[in-house]
Amino acid sequence: MHMKWRIITCIIFILILDLVLPIKALAHGVKIEYTVNMAIEIIAAYDNGEPMGGAQVTVYAPDEPSSPWLTGVCDDRGYFSFIPDTSKPGTWDVQVRQAGHGDIVHIPIGEDMVVTGGTGGYTALQIVLMAACFIWGSVGTALYFSRRRRA
Amino acid sequence: MHIPDGILPVPVTAAGYAATVVVTWYSVRKINQKENPRQDIPKASLLTAAFFVASWIHIPVPPTSVHLVLNGLLGAVLGYFAFPAILIGLFFQAVMFQHGGLTTLGVNAVIMGLPAIIAHYIFRIRRFGNQESRRKTGIFGFLSGAVAIGISVAMFVLILLTNIPADLDIGTERAALYTLAIAHLPLIAIEGVITLLLAVFLQRVRPRILDGV
Repeated sequence: MHMKWRIITCIIFILILDLVLPIKALAHGVKIEYTVNMAIEIIAAYDNGEPMGGAQVTVYAPDEPSSPWLTGVCDDRGYFSFIPDTSKPGTWDVQVRQAGHGDIVHIPIGEDMVVTGGTGGYTALQIVLMAACFIWGSVGTALYFSRRRRA
Repeated sequence: MHIPDGILPVPVTAAGYAATVVVTWYSVRKINQKENPRQDIPKASLLTAAFFVASWIHIPVPPTSVHLVLNGLLGAVLGYFAFPAILIGLFFQAVMFQHGGLTTLGVNAVIMGLPAIIAHYIFRIRRFGNQESRRKTGIFGFLSGAVAIGISVAMFVLILLTNIPADLDIGTERAALYTLAIAHLPLIAIEGVITLLLAVFLQRVRPRILDGV
């Protein structure tokens, strides 16, 4: 009788162990490795804000600036991304071009890397300059016509 | 309509500069042959400023948008002053707002400036025959504005079509250029109408401004 209870207890214990630790019983150990792949995302738009959908992108690696390292096409939002070869530090040039319009952005990869950057857009100085040009133009126009009137 | 830096090969940009030097020299020579070459300088300055800001005025033409150029208007109202005016306007657009480029300044001046001189001669046709009438000023004003921008678009597309780099998908770039050319068709009419309105307006309120051209 005592022996019987011991066997039953043992079976119940094994069953409970199986329920509690099922993974341990079924799977082996897990090994995770990781590598950081830095993707560069580009958003290209015309200066009036319209995205350069379908524009052709040419990427030049620093070690070979004359022949393209990668070519591709922007999506409808003017978006394009690629993973540069980090074993080639230096300035990567990315040209976006469509129907004779386009620009080149210089992206430093390596020690002097910056998280965001770009080309185009108006600085505060340029906006001030635009306003000054507009005022000067208006005054000039007024003076031009008033001069004619007196003549 | 403004070709930026890095799009055209060096020989083409150099040829653009060479052509610009020749046409500027010829334009200045023509200006100096006038009785009073300095008389039209304020008018030229005024329209240089108009040309400078015109490129900020965007007109939506789905699926894209185009901007005013006004080179035909400058040609009609300024005559040979138009070429140096456009050259100066393009220089400031490139330096201040990165619109166009310094290496492509010569090519852009040819694309926009030469049709302006053609517009000048088209506008002069109004003087032939009978008395200069408002209708003739209107018709040739429209034609000068429309033809100039039309030739500019054709030159722009032609120069780019013949200089597509080998590493680009030539078919895609060609299709994009054709789309751009088609998008400029309404601009031909718009610039024609603007030149017509200004020419008729000037003839009515201040005909002396159109005397020299």
